[in-house]
Amino acid sequence: MSPCSLAELPIGVDARIVDVRGADSLRLRLLEMGFVPGTAVRVIKRAPFGDPLELRLRGGHISLRAAEAARVAVEPAQREPA
Amino acid sequence: MNAVPSDPGAPLRLALCGNPNVGKTSLFNGLTGARHRVGNYAGVTVELREADLRVDLRAELGAGAGPKLSEGRSVTIVDLPGTYSLTPVAEDEAVALRGLCGERIEGGDLDQRASPPDSVILVLDAANLARNLYLAVQVIELGLPLVIALNMIDVAAEAGIEVDPEVLSRELGVPVIPTIGRTGAGELALIRAAVIAADGEAPPSSTLLALRQRLLGASGDAAVDEALASLAAVASPAAARGLLGARAAGTIELLGASLAAVAAAEAIASDVALDAASALAIDRYREVDRLVAQLGLGRAPGGDRASSSSAPAMDRSERLDRVLTHRFFGLLIFIAVMGLLFTSIFAWAEPAMGLIEALIGWLSGGARGILGDGVFTDLVVDGVIAGVGNVLVFIPQIALLFLFVGLLEDSGYMARAAFLIDRLMAKVGLHGKAFVPLLSGYACAIPAIMGTRTISSWRDRLVTILMIPYMSCSARLPIYVLLIAALFPTDQAVGPFNIGGLILLGMYLLSTISALAVGAIYKRTILRSPTPPLVLELPPYRLPRLRNTLLLVYDRTMDFVRQAGTVILAMTVVLWALLSFPKPPASADAPGPTATTEAADRADAAELADAADAAIVHSFGGRVGLAIEPALTPMGQDWRIGIAILGSFAAREVMVSTLGLVYGIEGADDDDRPLREVLRSAENDEGGRRYTPLGGLALMVFYVYACLCMSTVAVVRRETRSWRWPIFMFLSMTIFAYVAAVAVYQAGLLLGYG
Repeated sequence: MSPCSLAELPIGVDARIVDVRGADSLRLRLLEMGFVPGTAVRVIKRAPFGDPLELRLRGGHISLRAAEAARVAVEPAQREPA
Repeated sequence: MNAVPSDPGAPLRLALCGNPNVGKTSLFNGLTGARHRVGNYAGVTVELREADLRVDLRAELGAGAGPKLSEGRSVTIVDLPGTYSLTPVAEDEAVALRGLCGERIEGGDLDQRASPPDSVILVLDAANLARNLYLAVQVIELGLPLVIALNMIDVAAEAGIEVDPEVLSRELGVPVIPTIGRTGAGELALIRAAVIAADGEAPPSSTLLALRQRLLGASGDAAVDEALASLAAVASPAAARGLLGARAAGTIELLGASLAAVAAAEAIASDVALDAASALAIDRYREVDRLVAQLGLGRAPGGDRASSSSAPAMDRSERLDRVLTHRFFGLLIFIAVMGLLFTSIFAWAEPAMGLIEALIGWLSGGARGILGDGVFTDLVVDGVIAGVGNVLVFIPQIALLFLFVGLLEDSGYMARAAFLIDRLMAKVGLHGKAFVPLLSGYACAIPAIMGTRTISSWRDRLVTILMIPYMSCSARLPIYVLLIAALFPTDQAVGPFNIGGLILLGMYLLSTISALAVGAIYKRTILRSPTPPLVLELPPYRLPRLRNTLLLVYDRTMDFVRQAGTVILAMTVVLWALLSFPKPPASADAPGPTATTEAADRADAAELADAADAAIVHSFGGRVGLAIEPALTPMGQDWRIGIAILGSFAAREVMVSTLGLVYGIEGADDDDRPLREVLRSAENDEGGRRYTPLGGLALMVFYVYACLCMSTVAVVRRETRSWRWPIFMFLSMTIFAYVAAVAVYQAGLLLGYG
């Protein structure tokens, strides 16, 4: 699969973070929460109203809104999810 | 952020820092026992707590723990807010950074010296090192004596995560003590290591020095190095990184930095600062990933063994979340949990509140019996004892709310609640965490406003505080009930619904919609700020610790009594005086004050006799009620209601008893049937009904909006630390209430009702 944003990543598909975009403090906050290039990430689920997302990275779970996840560029892993 | 060397006679100060959800509070409570002091930095509302080391732990340390303790010094532990980083993106991080840099603390009874802590205890979650170590790297940049508590090592082992403290200690060059906050295991070893580190006898390890040098040395990125170099004259290397982050996030004012430092930071373009701070964050995580690999926790970045993410510590929680955050069952459970929380403050608090009221009644009776009748007795009974009652009566609701909030927070469910409801809150422009305080507002604004402390952005917290008084609290209910029962044909049905029930529902809907609308408007105008990012950790579910929660309950309750209680007491006395003086003339025939004569012009003789009996009509408050009647006529009310409105400032439900007093009915708040009858049958000068259903509706709308609750005003002053916001709130709500009530009444008249 080609690179996409974390907001577009299907549930259960593993991906690697490529970049965090944006020119405001949200970028810094995301980086500090561990969304740094190279880190593996997976979307676990979406909240009942479709937003926010529950993500797994760095051994824990973090919730981001889709609008925030859209800032994170990821590259999905080649293989199918287990 | 200038550091001053610590005074040799003062207590040894150890700072406790760590991520949220790592068991820091348990550790702090375990190390110190229950008693602590609270204070804050100028310009921020996040509080710091500090407490002395538990006496038995201090004794066990003995004098042999190092030269500083042998002088008999006591040991104080400062609990910094839980943060993921020290970059001051929000208040929490700014407070943690200021605490570590050693800045003077304001207010409270906290130790106010300006010096960095003698040593730092960093609490890490053994199961979550791939993120926790980021904070460790930042703390190491600071260069303070440091020991690490590798906490919840049992939970990590259970999840199959084996962390060797020796390896971590070797890699970082600082002591690492495995601890289990729940059982207290490792406490003594930890505090011993921290005290030895504070002594500064042993030089920092070469590993630590090398690590610091690597972190603080040239980054290899010219823009980063240039930005840091421009701050070198005004701040230490670590503080310069903090300034750079604050410049990037636009939060310099949170740091309380010197003018020179602020000027130097503002000389850096904000996008340059953001790029530099981002590059530094990525560099730090490179160091984290190296450490994680050394610990054998995985070779890939983020502590993962293969290219896929893994979170063994979350396995059990993920299974629970299949139900608890399920699309359907998750919402159902959420509604049930919130229903329970709401019921507890709405209904379960009732018996305890009744008990407090009975106690106050008994005290009043006793005082009256001992002191005899007289003005002094009235002051004691109706002013002071009633005032104390007005404070104490909130305690059950505050305690219950924080009991629930504490248990939910501790268990990890609160984060899920915010996750589930964030979508709806984001529409108003608020964080999911604002939901619980808003919901609590239906029961009582006082605990609800105190509950906003979980909201980390100050502006969002303020918006939530200003929204809460619009939620129809339980004290408005008796007013709605009285007016509906007195003025509407309650036996009439509309389809399957009772008309009284529909009106009541309408009032609650009106209040809810208004609160949400007010929030949305404030977020877009006077408190304009973007919807706060969610970025919410969903921690593993854990069994909550009752001890921690009870301490929280105690803390919040005492804080209310001390900070808001004094204001409420003073206001009760003042209000009592206003509604009691001057006293009515001894004889009803004696010429009354002008205002009463005015009333006499309008009222018939029998009514005047009633009114003259009611001492309240002669008081300042009563005269004000009479004087403002022209303003009340457009909303369909008379001077009697005016007095009742003034009286209800003590607490809305007092409106019923005040109105009772105006009509010479004692004890109307216990049984309002006589008052209902009077209101229903009262006639105006033309012989028509004095109180019409339309007027009742307008009055109810007035009560939906009016901030007629001095306790709310007092608690908002406490939470915002100024009179500015409570005054704004009071004026804006009262004006809006008046306009809305007049609009309802006039529109009703135009439509031919009335």
